[in-house]
Amino acid sequence: MGERTTAELDPRLLEILVCPLTKKPLRWDPERRELVSEAAGLAYPVRDGIPIMLVEEARRLDETPPAPGGARNPGTSA
Amino acid sequence: MSPPPQLFDRPRIRLRRERAARAGGDFFLEAEAAARLLDRLDDVRRTFRRALVVGGGPDLARALRRRLGPAALLLHLDPAPARLAPDAARVAVADEAWLPVAAATFDLVLAGPGLALVDDVPGALAQMVRALVPDGLLLAAFWGGETLVELRTAFVEAELALRGGAALRVAPFADLLEAAALLQRLGLALAVADRDRIRVRYADPWRLLLDLRAAGLTGVLRARRPLRRDVLAAALARYREAFADADGRVVASFELLFLTGWKPHPGQPKPRPRGSGRVDLAALLGRPPGGGEDQISGAAGDAGAGRSKRARMSAQPSNPAPGQGERSSQ
Repeated sequence: MGERTTAELDPRLLEILVCPLTKKPLRWDPERRELVSEAAGLAYPVRDGIPIMLVEEARRLDETPPAPGGARNPGTSA
Repeated sequence: MSPPPQLFDRPRIRLRRERAARAGGDFFLEAEAAARLLDRLDDVRRTFRRALVVGGGPDLARALRRRLGPAALLLHLDPAPARLAPDAARVAVADEAWLPVAAATFDLVLAGPGLALVDDVPGALAQMVRALVPDGLLLAAFWGGETLVELRTAFVEAELALRGGAALRVAPFADLLEAAALLQRLGLALAVADRDRIRVRYADPWRLLLDLRAAGLTGVLRARRPLRRDVLAAALARYREAFADADGRVVASFELLFLTGWKPHPGQPKPRPRGSGRVDLAALLGRPPGGGEDQISGAAGDAGAGRSKRARMSAQPSNPAPGQGERSSQ
């Protein structure tokens, strides 16, 4: 499965997914293709259209974000 | 409450499962577990519209899609992306112990046996119950305590003989009574725990280890102690000696536990309060009052009506008779 060209995320998916840590709703950031959990301060990546809802794969919001399309952030823990 | 012991190396399990799935190494017993989960779902006469599948492999999600039809909302979660079924469901990568799903969302949660490799099984199940709407069904499978008992024994005996001590080589699994107690703790209605025992015969125990490795099920424990070559050889020799059938093939036991329960809802069948009966059971049964040995509480009543065609061991751990609710296969 190749990278999806649309910047959209399936709205039904967004409706049922929450942050695994805080169980709070997520915000879709189409620029960075991330699901943002403000409550946890984490952004979960979406790779090949699949949300990666793992805390150790998420980007910490207080860290310098990587350049879009750039290298993956090292894993962080909550 | 103290946190559960950290037995499992979760990131490593994820990597191994992903690598195994990419190499096409699906464990035949996981397919078997999925088939048996669906078999239990077939006992339920209810149309589900919003279902969550946790683990279980892509074929479980595909089979469930066929049963629920194209209109149903289906979400499939797995720690390994290659084990997801994006052709059949909406998918996301997630850890079984940290479910990223909103509360009161699904009317069905199916969980595959990967749940047995989570440190906090009660916590993981509680999150599944949380994701259910009232009167939603939880159906979860996991590996039971008799799983790989021969391998465990062979390793312990070999290590005791050669090293004078034994390391944990096979993950501990829950038994049926623990599963039943767990169901009660979850506060599910009409809860049932049952099990299937499966005996697999191998030409050699080495083939069993290869199968487990191909499925990405080896090296899952956090405290891994290096396995000495002579210990492994002695364990395999012990296995061949102690667990062979007459024809020389060795036996590997697997036990699958199934938990079934409904999230409580006022409309569910439930026992009446004690003393509220209007019919004298003794008269009904034609026995003299007070003399009967059998106490009939009437609690179960029509509890199973319209839900399960099959009677199984109830969650009250009162009847652990061996042979009950079990099936064996080769």
